[in-house]
Amino acid sequence: MKSRSSIEIRRCRPLLGTFVEIIARGRDERLLGRGIEAGFDAIARVNRLMSFHDPESDVSRMNREAFPKGVSVHPWTWQVMKAAKRFAEESHCAFDITVAPLLTKWKYLPERCYRFSPNSTSRDIFLRRDYEVFFRRALIVDLGGIAKGFAVDRAVEALKKNGVKTGIVNAGGDLRAFGPAWQSVYLRHPANPTRFAGAVRLRERAMATSGIYFERRKHDRDYVSPLFDGRSGQTVRELISVSVAAAECMVADVLTKVVFALRGEATGLLARYRGDALLLERDGAPSWIFQSPCDIGDRTQFD
Amino acid sequence: MKSEFLFIALPASVLIAPSAFAVKYLTVEQAQQAIFPGKSFTAMPVKLTGSQRKAIQQASGVRVLHDEQQVWRVSSGGWFIVDEVVGKHEFITYAAGLNGDGSVKQIEIMDYRETYGGQIRDQKWRAQFVGKTSKSTLKLDSDIKNISGATLSCRHITDGVKRLLAFYEIALKH
Repeated sequence: MKSRSSIEIRRCRPLLGTFVEIIARGRDERLLGRGIEAGFDAIARVNRLMSFHDPESDVSRMNREAFPKGVSVHPWTWQVMKAAKRFAEESHCAFDITVAPLLTKWKYLPERCYRFSPNSTSRDIFLRRDYEVFFRRALIVDLGGIAKGFAVDRAVEALKKNGVKTGIVNAGGDLRAFGPAWQSVYLRHPANPTRFAGAVRLRERAMATSGIYFERRKHDRDYVSPLFDGRSGQTVRELISVSVAAAECMVADVLTKVVFALRGEATGLLARYRGDALLLERDGAPSWIFQSPCDIGDRTQFD
Repeated sequence: MKSEFLFIALPASVLIAPSAFAVKYLTVEQAQQAIFPGKSFTAMPVKLTGSQRKAIQQASGVRVLHDEQQVWRVSSGGWFIVDEVVGKHEFITYAAGLNGDGSVKQIEIMDYRETYGGQIRDQKWRAQFVGKTSKSTLKLDSDIKNISGATLSCRHITDGVKRLLAFYEIALKH
Protein backbone atom coordinates (compact mmCIF):
# COMPACT_ATOMS: atom_id res chain seq x y z
CA MET A 1 0.00 0.00 0.00
CA LYS A 2 1.22 3.46 -0.83
CA SER A 3 2.09 5.42 2.29
CA ARG A 4 0.49 8.80 2.54
CA SER A 5 2.52 11.82 3.49
CA SER A 6 1.74 13.89 6.57
CA ILE A 7 -0.86 16.58 6.17
CA GLU A 8 -2.02 19.43 8.34
CA ILE A 9 -5.57 20.73 8.71
CA ARG A 10 -6.08 24.09 10.31
CA ARG A 11 -9.49 25.56 11.18
CA CYS A 12 -10.72 28.57 13.11
CA ARG A 13 -14.13 29.42 14.52
CA PRO A 14 -15.44 32.23 16.73
CA LEU A 15 -16.18 30.63 20.10
CA LEU A 16 -15.78 31.52 23.79
CA GLY A 17 -15.81 35.19 22.80
CA THR A 18 -12.57 34.78 20.86
CA PHE A 19 -11.00 32.97 17.91
CA VAL A 20 -10.51 29.28 18.53
CA GLU A 21 -8.03 27.57 16.24
CA ILE A 22 -7.42 23.84 15.93
CA ILE A 23 -4.48 22.38 14.04
CA ALA A 24 -4.37 18.62 13.49
CA ARG A 25 -1.55 16.70 11.82
CA GLY A 26 -1.48 13.16 10.54
CA ARG A 27 -1.88 11.05 7.44
CA ASP A 28 -5.59 10.42 7.23
CA GLU A 29 -7.50 13.50 6.12
CA ARG A 30 -10.92 12.15 7.08
CA LEU A 31 -9.76 11.16 10.53
CA LEU A 32 -8.23 14.62 11.08
CA GLY A 33 -11.46 16.27 9.90
CA ARG A 34 -13.53 14.20 12.31
CA GLY A 35 -11.15 14.99 15.16
CA ILE A 36 -11.35 18.70 14.48
CA GLU A 37 -15.17 18.56 14.41
CA ALA A 38 -15.16 16.74 17.76
CA GLY A 39 -12.74 19.31 19.18
CA PHE A 40 -14.94 22.24 18.15
CA ASP A 41 -18.01 20.39 19.47
CA ALA A 42 -16.38 20.09 22.89
CA ILE A 43 -15.53 23.80 22.92
CA ALA A 44 -19.03 24.77 21.77
CA ARG A 45 -20.44 22.69 24.61
CA VAL A 46 -18.26 24.44 27.20
CA ASN A 47 -19.34 27.72 25.61
CA ARG A 48 -23.02 26.79 26.05
CA LEU A 49 -22.58 25.60 29.63
CA MET A 50 -20.35 28.33 31.00
CA SER A 51 -21.30 31.53 29.17
CA PHE A 52 -22.17 34.45 31.44
CA HIS A 53 -24.17 36.02 28.61
CA ASP A 54 -26.44 33.10 27.73
CA PRO A 55 -29.43 33.02 30.12
CA GLU A 56 -29.78 29.24 29.60
CA SER A 57 -26.19 28.38 30.59
CA ASP A 58 -25.29 26.59 33.81
CA VAL A 59 -23.52 29.74 34.96
CA SER A 60 -26.67 31.85 34.52
CA ARG A 61 -28.77 29.17 36.23
CA MET A 62 -26.37 29.09 39.17
CA ASN A 63 -26.40 32.87 39.44
CA ARG A 64 -30.20 32.85 39.52
CA GLU A 65 -30.92 29.77 41.59
CA ALA A 66 -27.93 28.33 43.48
CA PHE A 67 -28.87 30.66 46.32
CA PRO A 68 -30.92 29.81 48.24
CA LYS A 69 -32.08 26.46 46.86
CA GLY A 70 -29.21 24.89 44.88
CA VAL A 71 -29.11 23.85 41.24
CA SER A 72 -28.02 20.76 39.27
CA VAL A 73 -25.36 21.36 36.64
CA HIS A 74 -23.54 19.42 33.91
CA PRO A 75 -20.61 17.31 35.23
CA TRP A 76 -18.18 19.58 33.31
CA THR A 77 -19.52 22.70 35.03
CA TRP A 78 -19.33 20.93 38.35
CA GLN A 79 -15.73 19.94 37.63
CA VAL A 80 -14.77 23.55 36.79
CA MET A 81 -16.54 24.86 39.90
CA LYS A 82 -14.67 22.33 42.00
CA ALA A 83 -11.32 23.32 40.49
CA ALA A 84 -12.14 27.03 40.86
CA LYS A 85 -12.95 26.57 44.53
CA ARG A 86 -9.70 24.71 45.09
CA PHE A 87 -7.64 27.38 43.28
CA ALA A 88 -9.36 30.09 45.35
CA GLU A 89 -8.39 28.31 48.56
CA GLU A 90 -4.84 27.67 47.43
CA SER A 91 -4.31 31.26 46.29
CA HIS A 92 -6.08 32.77 49.31
CA CYS A 93 -8.70 34.16 46.90
CA ALA A 94 -6.22 35.94 44.62
CA PHE A 95 -8.08 33.84 42.04
CA ASP A 96 -11.80 34.09 42.73
CA ILE A 97 -14.75 33.37 40.45
CA THR A 98 -17.15 35.46 42.59
CA VAL A 99 -15.83 38.81 41.35
CA ALA A 100 -18.48 39.26 38.65
CA PRO A 101 -20.01 42.35 40.36
CA LEU A 102 -16.76 44.28 39.76
CA LEU A 103 -16.59 43.12 36.14
CA THR A 104 -20.17 44.26 35.69
CA LYS A 105 -19.42 47.63 37.26
CA TRP A 106 -16.53 48.12 34.82
CA LYS A 107 -18.77 46.96 31.95
CA TYR A 108 -16.73 43.86 31.09
CA LEU A 109 -19.87 41.83 31.79
CA PRO A 110 -23.45 42.82 31.04
CA GLU A 111 -25.70 44.03 33.86
CA ARG A 112 -27.90 41.29 35.21
CA CYS A 113 -30.47 41.66 37.91
CA TYR A 114 -28.81 39.13 40.18
CA ARG A 115 -28.68 39.63 43.92
CA PHE A 116 -25.39 39.39 45.74
CA SER A 117 -24.04 40.06 49.21
CA PRO A 118 -21.01 42.34 49.10
CA ASN A 119 -18.61 40.15 51.08
CA SER A 120 -19.31 36.80 49.48
CA THR A 121 -16.34 34.71 48.26
CA SER A 122 -15.68 31.27 46.82
CA ARG A 123 -15.95 29.93 50.39
CA ASP A 124 -19.71 30.44 50.11
CA ILE A 125 -19.91 27.91 47.26
CA PHE A 126 -20.80 24.33 48.16
CA LEU A 127 -20.62 21.39 45.82
CA ARG A 128 -22.98 18.60 46.71
CA ARG A 129 -23.47 15.11 45.41
CA ASP A 130 -25.15 14.52 42.06
CA TYR A 131 -23.60 17.63 40.56
CA GLU A 132 -25.58 20.05 42.68
CA VAL A 133 -24.19 23.50 43.37
CA PHE A 134 -25.36 25.52 46.34
CA PHE A 135 -24.44 29.07 47.35
CA ARG A 136 -24.59 29.84 51.06
CA ARG A 137 -24.99 33.54 50.31
CA ALA A 138 -26.24 35.37 47.26
CA LEU A 139 -23.27 35.66 44.91
CA ILE A 140 -22.45 35.96 41.23
CA VAL A 141 -19.91 33.71 39.55
CA ASP A 142 -18.11 34.23 36.26
CA LEU A 143 -15.95 31.43 34.87
CA GLY A 144 -14.18 33.71 32.37
CA GLY A 145 -10.83 33.13 34.08
CA ILE A 146 -10.89 29.35 33.90
CA ALA A 147 -13.41 28.02 31.34
CA LYS A 148 -11.29 28.82 28.29
CA GLY A 149 -8.45 26.66 29.57
CA PHE A 150 -10.89 23.89 30.49
CA ALA A 151 -12.41 24.06 26.99
CA VAL A 152 -8.97 23.67 25.39
CA ASP A 153 -8.32 20.58 27.53
CA ARG A 154 -11.67 19.04 26.52
CA ALA A 155 -10.95 19.74 22.85
CA VAL A 156 -7.52 18.07 23.07
CA GLU A 157 -9.19 15.09 24.75
CA ALA A 158 -11.76 14.87 21.94
CA LEU A 159 -9.09 15.11 19.24
CA LYS A 160 -7.04 12.32 20.83
CA LYS A 161 -10.13 10.15 21.31
CA ASN A 162 -10.75 10.47 17.57
CA GLY A 163 -7.28 9.25 16.77
CA VAL A 164 -5.50 12.56 16.15
CA LYS A 165 -1.98 12.15 17.51
CA THR A 166 -0.43 15.58 16.95
CA GLY A 167 -1.90 19.03 17.04
CA ILE A 168 -2.59 22.23 18.87
CA VAL A 169 -5.72 23.89 20.19
CA ASN A 170 -5.49 27.65 20.66
CA ALA A 171 -8.41 29.55 22.21
CA GLY A 172 -7.42 33.15 21.65
CA GLY A 173 -3.95 32.74 23.13
CA ASP A 174 -4.60 29.99 25.68
CA LEU A 175 -3.30 26.91 23.98
CA ARG A 176 -2.21 23.31 24.37
CA ALA A 177 0.16 21.35 22.18
CA PHE A 178 -0.07 17.57 22.04
CA GLY A 179 1.92 14.89 20.29
CA PRO A 180 5.63 14.21 19.95
CA ALA A 181 6.53 17.35 17.96
CA TRP A 182 7.97 20.53 19.40
CA GLN A 183 5.81 23.60 18.81
CA SER A 184 7.09 27.15 18.70
CA VAL A 185 4.73 29.58 20.34
CA TYR A 186 5.24 33.30 19.88
CA LEU A 187 4.38 35.66 22.71
CA ARG A 188 2.71 38.95 22.04
CA HIS A 189 4.57 42.08 23.05
CA PRO A 190 2.86 43.45 26.18
CA ALA A 191 2.83 47.05 24.95
CA ASN A 192 2.45 46.38 21.18
CA PRO A 193 0.24 43.32 20.96
CA THR A 194 0.55 42.91 17.20
CA ARG A 195 4.31 42.50 17.59
CA PHE A 196 6.09 39.63 19.22
CA ALA A 197 8.39 39.74 22.23
CA GLY A 198 9.78 36.24 22.11
CA ALA A 199 9.08 32.61 21.53
CA VAL A 200 8.66 29.55 23.67
CA ARG A 201 9.02 25.93 22.65
CA LEU A 202 6.47 23.49 23.99
CA ARG A 203 5.86 19.78 23.79
CA GLU A 204 2.91 18.00 25.42
CA ARG A 205 2.22 21.20 27.28
CA ALA A 206 -0.26 24.03 27.62
CA MET A 207 0.42 27.73 27.84
CA ALA A 208 -1.77 30.66 28.75
CA THR A 209 -0.99 34.36 28.71
CA SER A 210 -2.75 37.19 30.47
CA GLY A 211 -2.24 40.84 29.75
CA ILE A 212 -4.45 43.86 29.55
CA TYR A 213 -3.42 45.26 26.15
CA PHE A 214 -6.64 44.37 24.37
CA GLU A 215 -8.95 45.07 27.30
CA ARG A 216 -7.78 48.14 29.19
CA ARG A 217 -10.39 50.90 29.41
CA LYS A 218 -11.23 54.05 31.30
CA HIS A 219 -13.55 53.96 34.30
CA ASP A 220 -14.12 57.29 36.00
CA ARG A 221 -10.68 58.83 35.61
CA ASP A 222 -8.59 55.72 35.90
CA TYR A 223 -7.77 52.78 33.71
CA VAL A 224 -9.26 49.44 34.68
CA SER A 225 -8.82 45.96 33.26
CA PRO A 226 -10.64 42.66 33.75
CA LEU A 227 -7.52 41.34 35.49
CA PHE A 228 -7.38 42.01 39.19
CA ASP A 229 -6.51 40.68 42.59
CA GLY A 230 -9.52 38.79 43.92
CA ARG A 231 -8.59 39.73 47.48
CA SER A 232 -8.46 43.51 47.11
CA GLY A 233 -10.22 44.19 43.80
CA GLN A 234 -7.04 46.05 42.80
CA THR A 235 -6.98 46.12 39.01
CA VAL A 236 -3.90 45.57 36.84
CA ARG A 237 -2.95 48.79 35.03
CA GLU A 238 0.52 48.10 33.70
CA LEU A 239 1.14 46.92 30.16
CA ILE A 240 2.89 43.74 31.19
CA SER A 241 2.00 40.14 30.53
CA VAL A 242 2.21 36.88 32.41
CA SER A 243 2.54 33.53 30.65
CA VAL A 244 2.29 30.21 32.43
CA ALA A 245 3.02 26.77 31.03
CA ALA A 246 1.54 23.68 32.65
CA ALA A 247 0.39 20.20 31.68
CA GLU A 248 -3.25 21.29 31.55
CA CYS A 249 -4.52 24.46 29.93
CA MET A 250 -7.04 25.08 32.72
CA VAL A 251 -4.20 25.15 35.26
CA ALA A 252 -2.14 27.47 33.06
CA ASP A 253 -5.15 29.76 32.55
CA VAL A 254 -5.80 30.11 36.29
CA LEU A 255 -2.16 30.44 37.29
CA THR A 256 -1.60 33.46 35.01
CA LYS A 257 -4.12 35.35 37.17
CA VAL A 258 -2.53 34.10 40.38
CA VAL A 259 0.95 35.19 39.25
CA PHE A 260 -0.42 38.62 38.29
CA ALA A 261 -1.78 39.07 41.80
CA LEU A 262 0.91 37.35 43.86
CA ARG A 263 4.08 37.63 41.74
CA GLY A 264 6.93 36.00 43.69
CA GLU A 265 4.57 34.56 46.27
CA ALA A 266 3.03 32.37 43.57
CA THR A 267 6.10 30.12 43.33
CA GLY A 268 4.72 27.58 45.82
CA LEU A 269 1.58 27.11 43.78
CA LEU A 270 3.51 27.05 40.50
CA ALA A 271 5.78 24.33 41.85
CA ARG A 272 2.82 22.31 43.12
CA TYR A 273 1.25 22.32 39.65
CA ARG A 274 4.61 21.97 37.90
CA GLY A 275 4.06 25.24 36.15
CA ASP A 276 6.60 27.56 34.58
CA ALA A 277 5.99 31.30 34.53
CA LEU A 278 7.31 34.22 32.57
CA LEU A 279 6.63 37.88 33.21
CA LEU A 280 7.22 40.27 30.32
CA GLU A 281 7.71 43.96 31.05
CA ARG A 282 6.40 46.87 29.05
CA ASP A 283 9.52 46.84 26.85
CA GLY A 284 8.98 43.16 26.02
CA ALA A 285 11.89 41.93 28.12
CA PRO A 286 11.35 39.18 30.68
CA SER A 287 11.74 40.45 34.24
CA TRP A 288 10.88 37.28 36.09
CA ILE A 289 11.05 33.64 35.15
CA PHE A 290 10.12 30.68 37.26
CA GLN A 291 10.81 27.11 36.27
CA SER A 292 9.40 24.20 38.16
CA PRO A 293 12.08 22.02 39.67
CA CYS A 294 10.66 18.86 38.09
CA ASP A 295 11.03 17.65 34.51
CA ILE A 296 14.46 18.93 33.70
CA GLY A 297 14.53 19.59 30.00
CA ASP A 298 16.08 22.44 28.11
CA ARG A 299 16.75 25.39 30.37
CA THR A 300 15.51 28.87 29.71
CA GLN A 301 17.75 30.69 27.31
CA PHE A 302 18.24 34.33 26.54
CA ASP A 303 20.14 36.14 23.88
CA MET B 1 5.26 12.95 31.11
CA LYS B 2 8.21 15.01 30.08
CA SER B 3 7.46 18.63 29.43
CA GLU B 4 9.74 21.39 28.44
CA PHE B 5 9.69 25.11 28.53
CA LEU B 6 12.15 27.31 26.78
CA PHE B 7 12.02 31.04 26.28
CA ILE B 8 13.86 32.50 23.33
CA ALA B 9 14.14 36.25 23.16
CA LEU B 10 13.67 37.32 19.56
CA PRO B 11 16.44 39.11 17.69
CA ALA B 12 16.05 42.88 17.64
CA SER B 13 15.17 42.88 13.94
CA VAL B 14 12.00 40.90 14.57
CA LEU B 15 11.10 43.06 17.53
CA ILE B 16 11.54 46.35 15.75
CA ALA B 17 10.09 45.46 12.36
CA PRO B 18 6.33 45.93 12.31
CA SER B 19 5.05 42.42 12.31
CA ALA B 20 2.00 41.14 10.57
CA PHE B 21 0.31 37.85 11.06
CA ALA B 22 -1.93 36.21 8.51
CA VAL B 23 -3.54 32.83 8.11
CA LYS B 24 -5.55 31.53 5.22
CA TYR B 25 -7.79 28.80 6.57
CA LEU B 26 -10.21 28.08 3.76
CA THR B 27 -10.95 29.01 0.17
CA VAL B 28 -14.57 29.68 -0.77
CA GLU B 29 -14.97 26.12 -2.08
CA GLN B 30 -13.39 24.59 1.01
CA ALA B 31 -15.58 26.68 3.31
CA GLN B 32 -18.66 25.60 1.35
CA GLN B 33 -17.77 21.93 1.81
CA ALA B 34 -16.83 22.46 5.46
CA ILE B 35 -20.27 23.89 6.27
CA PHE B 36 -22.47 22.01 3.78
CA PRO B 37 -20.57 18.79 2.89
CA GLY B 38 -21.48 17.24 -0.45
CA LYS B 39 -23.92 19.98 -1.48
CA SER B 40 -23.84 22.14 -4.60
CA PHE B 41 -23.92 25.93 -4.64
CA THR B 42 -25.41 28.54 -6.93
CA ALA B 43 -23.92 32.03 -6.75
CA MET B 44 -26.56 34.70 -6.17
CA PRO B 45 -24.72 37.91 -5.32
CA VAL B 46 -27.04 40.52 -3.82
CA LYS B 47 -26.80 44.22 -4.45
CA LEU B 48 -28.45 46.22 -1.70
CA THR B 49 -30.53 49.30 -2.31
CA GLY B 50 -30.03 52.36 -0.11
CA SER B 51 -33.20 51.65 1.82
CA GLN B 52 -32.24 48.00 2.35
CA ARG B 53 -28.87 49.06 3.76
CA LYS B 54 -30.59 51.46 6.10
CA ALA B 55 -33.09 48.83 7.19
CA ILE B 56 -30.31 46.29 7.90
CA GLN B 57 -28.41 48.90 9.87
CA GLN B 58 -31.49 49.72 11.88
CA ALA B 59 -32.47 46.13 12.57
CA SER B 60 -28.96 44.97 13.57
CA GLY B 61 -27.45 48.11 15.04
CA VAL B 62 -24.36 47.38 12.93
CA ARG B 63 -23.02 49.56 10.12
CA VAL B 64 -23.28 48.16 6.59
CA LEU B 65 -20.04 48.96 4.76
CA HIS B 66 -20.65 47.31 1.39
CA ASP B 67 -23.55 47.38 -1.08
CA GLU B 68 -22.75 43.92 -2.34
CA GLN B 69 -22.99 40.69 -0.46
CA GLN B 70 -21.54 37.41 -1.78
CA VAL B 71 -24.30 34.85 -1.41
CA TRP B 72 -24.79 31.27 -2.61
CA ARG B 73 -27.99 29.22 -2.56
CA VAL B 74 -27.32 25.72 -1.23
CA SER B 75 -28.85 22.76 -3.10
CA SER B 76 -30.37 21.41 0.12
CA GLY B 77 -31.93 24.76 1.02
CA GLY B 78 -30.11 27.29 3.14
CA TRP B 79 -27.56 29.93 2.29
CA PHE B 80 -23.82 30.33 2.21
CA ILE B 81 -22.51 33.89 2.70
CA VAL B 82 -18.97 35.26 2.58
CA ASP B 83 -18.45 38.41 4.61
CA GLU B 84 -15.71 40.65 6.00
CA VAL B 85 -15.21 42.45 9.29
CA VAL B 86 -12.61 44.93 10.44
CA GLY B 87 -11.49 45.23 14.04
CA LYS B 88 -8.89 47.45 15.63
CA HIS B 89 -6.00 45.13 14.78
CA GLU B 90 -7.60 42.52 12.58
CA PHE B 91 -9.25 42.12 9.19
CA ILE B 92 -11.22 38.93 8.80
CA THR B 93 -13.02 37.14 5.98
CA TYR B 94 -15.45 34.53 7.19
CA ALA B 95 -18.20 32.28 5.89
CA ALA B 96 -21.62 31.90 7.45
CA GLY B 97 -23.90 28.98 6.67
CA LEU B 98 -27.59 29.65 7.27
CA ASN B 99 -30.20 26.91 7.46
CA GLY B 100 -33.34 27.13 5.34
CA ASP B 101 -35.17 28.84 8.20
CA GLY B 102 -32.47 31.52 8.52
CA SER B 103 -30.85 30.19 11.68
CA VAL B 104 -27.06 30.01 11.86
CA LYS B 105 -25.69 26.57 10.97
CA GLN B 106 -21.97 27.24 11.21
CA ILE B 107 -19.37 29.98 11.05
CA GLU B 108 -15.88 29.36 9.65
CA ILE B 109 -13.05 31.88 9.57
CA MET B 110 -11.59 31.89 6.04
CA ASP B 111 -8.85 34.51 6.33
CA TYR B 112 -7.38 36.16 9.39
CA ARG B 113 -5.00 39.12 9.07
CA GLU B 114 -3.54 41.12 11.85
CA THR B 115 -1.18 44.00 11.56
CA TYR B 116 0.56 46.68 13.52
CA GLY B 117 -0.31 50.30 12.98
CA GLY B 118 -3.16 52.01 11.18
CA GLN B 119 -3.21 49.84 8.05
CA ILE B 120 -6.27 47.84 9.04
CA ARG B 121 -8.57 50.84 8.53
CA ASP B 122 -6.98 51.65 5.18
CA GLN B 123 -9.18 50.48 2.28
CA LYS B 124 -6.20 50.25 -0.08
CA TRP B 125 -4.27 48.02 2.27
CA ARG B 126 -7.27 45.72 2.60
CA ALA B 127 -7.99 45.74 -1.12
CA GLN B 128 -4.71 43.94 -1.81
CA PHE B 129 -6.12 40.81 -0.19
CA VAL B 130 -9.52 40.68 -1.80
CA GLY B 131 -9.97 37.61 -3.95
CA LYS B 132 -6.35 36.51 -3.57
CA THR B 133 -4.78 33.36 -2.29
CA SER B 134 -2.44 33.03 0.63
CA LYS B 135 0.50 32.98 -1.75
CA SER B 136 -0.07 36.58 -2.74
CA THR B 137 -0.60 37.98 0.75
CA LEU B 138 2.06 39.53 2.92
CA LYS B 139 5.37 37.78 3.19
CA LEU B 140 5.50 36.37 6.65
CA ASP B 141 7.78 34.27 8.66
CA SER B 142 6.15 30.91 8.02
CA ASP B 143 7.42 29.81 11.40
CA ILE B 144 5.03 32.13 13.22
CA LYS B 145 2.08 29.83 13.61
CA ASN B 146 1.08 29.78 17.20
CA ILE B 147 0.60 32.89 19.26
CA SER B 148 0.01 33.10 22.98
CA GLY B 149 -1.29 36.36 24.30
CA ALA B 150 -4.16 38.04 26.05
CA THR B 151 -7.48 37.16 24.49
CA LEU B 152 -8.50 39.08 21.40
CA SER B 153 -12.27 39.47 21.38
CA CYS B 154 -14.30 38.19 18.41
CA ARG B 155 -16.94 40.88 18.96
CA HIS B 156 -16.66 42.08 15.36
CA ILE B 157 -17.61 38.64 14.08
CA THR B 158 -20.56 38.55 16.49
CA ASP B 159 -21.66 41.95 15.14
CA GLY B 160 -21.07 40.76 11.57
CA VAL B 161 -23.31 37.74 12.09
CA LYS B 162 -25.99 39.98 13.62
CA ARG B 163 -25.82 42.10 10.47
CA LEU B 164 -26.04 38.98 8.24
CA LEU B 165 -29.15 37.78 10.08
CA ALA B 166 -30.77 41.17 9.43
CA PHE B 167 -29.57 40.92 5.81
CA TYR B 168 -31.30 37.55 5.55
CA GLU B 169 -34.59 38.95 6.89
CA ILE B 170 -34.53 41.99 4.62
CA ALA B 171 -32.86 40.82 1.41
CA LEU B 172 -32.93 37.00 1.20
CA LYS B 173 -36.13 35.76 2.78
CA HIS B 174 -38.98 36.00 0.30
